[in-house]
Amino acid sequence: MKVARLIWVGTRFRARELMVSRWFLLLCVLQPVIFATIAFYMFKAGGRPGTLLYAALGTGMAGIWSSTLFGSGGALQWNRWQGTLELLVASPPPFLVVLLPLTLATSVTGAYSLFATLFWGRVFFGIPLHFAHGLAFAVAVPAAVFSLGLMGLLMASSFILYRHANALSNLLEYPVWIATGLLFPLSLLPNWVGPVSWLLAPRWGIDAIRHAALGDGAVWFPIGMCAVTGGAYVVLAAAFLRIFERAARANATLALT
Amino acid sequence: MIEAIELRRTYRTTTGILRRRPLEVEAVRGISFDVAEGELFGLLGPNGAGKTTTIKMLITLLLPTAGEARVLGYDVVRDAREVRKRIGYVFGGDRGLYERLSGLDNLKYFAELYGVSGKAQRVRIEEVLELVGLTGREGERVEGYSRGMRQRLHIARGILHDPQVVFLDEPTIGVDPVGARALRSMIAGLVEAGKTVLLTTHYMFEADSLCDRIAVIAGGRIVAEGTPSALKGRVADQTVVEVEVFGIEEHDVTRVRDLRGVTAVSVEERDQAQLLTIRSPRGLELTQDIRASLDGARIGRIVAREPTLEDAYVALVTEGAE
Amino acid sequence: MSTNLRVFFVGGLISYRALFNWIRLYIYIPTMLGSPLFQIVFFTYLGRYSHAGNGDAFFIVGNAVQVCGMSCVYGMTMAVANERWFGTLGPLLASPANRLAVFLGRGVPVFANGLIVSAFGFGVGVVLLHFRPPVHSLPALALCVCITTVSCTAFGMVLGSIGLRSKDFFFVANLAYFLMLLFCGVNIPLSVLPGWMSVIGRCLPLTHGIEAARQIAAGGALGDVSGLLWTELGIAAAYAAAGYVFFRALEYASRRSAVLDAF
Repeated sequence: MKVARLIWVGTRFRARELMVSRWFLLLCVLQPVIFATIAFYMFKAGGRPGTLLYAALGTGMAGIWSSTLFGSGGALQWNRWQGTLELLVASPPPFLVVLLPLTLATSVTGAYSLFATLFWGRVFFGIPLHFAHGLAFAVAVPAAVFSLGLMGLLMASSFILYRHANALSNLLEYPVWIATGLLFPLSLLPNWVGPVSWLLAPRWGIDAIRHAALGDGAVWFPIGMCAVTGGAYVVLAAAFLRIFERAARANATLALT
Repeated sequence: MIEAIELRRTYRTTTGILRRRPLEVEAVRGISFDVAEGELFGLLGPNGAGKTTTIKMLITLLLPTAGEARVLGYDVVRDAREVRKRIGYVFGGDRGLYERLSGLDNLKYFAELYGVSGKAQRVRIEEVLELVGLTGREGERVEGYSRGMRQRLHIARGILHDPQVVFLDEPTIGVDPVGARALRSMIAGLVEAGKTVLLTTHYMFEADSLCDRIAVIAGGRIVAEGTPSALKGRVADQTVVEVEVFGIEEHDVTRVRDLRGVTAVSVEERDQAQLLTIRSPRGLELTQDIRASLDGARIGRIVAREPTLEDAYVALVTEGAE
Repeated sequence: MSTNLRVFFVGGLISYRALFNWIRLYIYIPTMLGSPLFQIVFFTYLGRYSHAGNGDAFFIVGNAVQVCGMSCVYGMTMAVANERWFGTLGPLLASPANRLAVFLGRGVPVFANGLIVSAFGFGVGVVLLHFRPPVHSLPALALCVCITTVSCTAFGMVLGSIGLRSKDFFFVANLAYFLMLLFCGVNIPLSVLPGWMSVIGRCLPLTHGIEAARQIAAGGALGDVSGLLWTELGIAAAYAAAGYVFFRALEYASRRSAVLDAF
């Protein structure tokens, strides 16, 4: 199918572009590793050594989120700046199909942060990497990555009209780490956060990955929810893109940097 | 092939820093023209005349505020997707390519976007590289390409999917004369191959040498349309007198303008002097009258000559902008 | 490749105002106020879960002071390095303006902004996290924040000067942000860190200022922390001097070998 091929080629194309940039190094390796170190020491200081793997997975997932968040908003901004955004909009395929590979590539390259934090934890902090359900883990990670890529698609499709999307990106990093229980359980937060977290792919992603690794909960339910939220994101993104693309053509904001 | 009917485009922006006032700029004010199959049509005009806005409406990137346009029979607003499949869009300048990737990678990506895939893609990419003269350089990163090479890569990208209609927006801008000449012959080659081409430019000689028909656009309107020779014919019956003056005043210019027989006067600043260009019907001997009117100023050379297409262009454009 | 506040690319704008692009409210509020707010909340909750400090105040004070550092480091790096990006450095250096005045002058709005951000951070602690420092300690707390802001601004000058030379100034600024979170005792007591990390921490701004602020917020007297505050000021002076020296050295180098135009 042509669409599948376009998505595959586009994702590889954008991923390759991302991986040669120093932002990749910063966002997907250095930031997660440094935050993992902070988390490790905090847990050590508090006397909870058994949860270092928990911290490694959480900070890895945080890295996938950061990469997706900044990469997706950044993808549009980058194309705008390069002067290629117009060309992408002017091309025949529906813009959704053109945009999806760009955001998917950000979460795929983001997956490196999970490996980075696990590797770092193993080598410098001696965290034993025993996964309770290896197979489920191998499914959970791609499921999480894919659903995050789709969430990136939704974000990018709402950013297309708004030139200063980067400011919003700033605002969404920590809140999502908090609201999806990446490094501390949602039970610590006020009750209303729980239902909000149901809408966010990273919550299901970290649940799936953590339960698969630590064996402390159901795995297939969160994996399923990754798929469900992913589907919802695509539907919403398609609607947004229709509106926003038309508005951008009416207001001539595509070419402006 | 291409039809524009009373196209209008208004931009709404804001001015002021503290209290933002809305401002409406009418960039295109009712443009109509037709381009037939296999024609190389030029939109010629100075910067800010509305050429780029017009072309963007035709390639579906901008919605007209009023009016209609059709490309290959498809409406640019309602059937945007159908239009996009069948046209190529090439613009000038440094942007529009993925700098950190190679020329080949850029072409591969756009080939995918335009549905040219698999074996056909490889063949086609080789063909277009050959056509634009970039064979052998496609493996290098675009960031190292010269302006001329980028332009050629742009053209390659624009024709990958073998579109019937190609839109070129100032394709030779900023390119050295030798490179520009090569680009122009490539553009002529596209037409020879049977494509329909719409070209925008502010280089008058480019429009003259390449285009089958030209529309001169100024101030958002078409001020003249026709073949290059027809446009030259508009000024064939005129004489141009060029007077070099030092220190001319506004009332002097007015006096010259008011002389019987003078059709237009324009003033150009040149270092310490000004150049007055006076147009009048052929046969009228106005040199003495002009000298008399410029009594107060110091006069340098006075030359009477045949009008060129440039004079026609300048006349059309300055009148059109008023 | 864009990322957050850490990469103030956006623009393409050419005016000087563009360097402070974030002065527009709809950008300023999310970036300068929103982000610190959530940072404080995040680390306080993480602190609760991990039991790393002795109570919320440890994390609230640590992060509320650190966020001024964040704003100063980024702001200063941006102010200096952006001159290069936008090509205004040449004209600036060609002017007869007193270098020291220019250099320090860049720091003033950044310093002011840092204070605002920090004050906001403490406000967040009070409103959202039940932070209740003794009222009589507020002036001393403010003094700690001021001094720390000064040293972070000076540190920002050094990073900015480095940024003039290398392409990677934003990368460096971002990295500095993360490393300061790790080394300066913002969320981890220095005693828990390995020796070499705490040594680095003691050479960086923030560390002593945060320590002093924590003691004050716990009811300590200004006199008890004067040693810490003097150390912090000393660090500020050292970084300011270093930044100025780099700046002049760079200016000299650029006149010899035109490095400033190379990008």
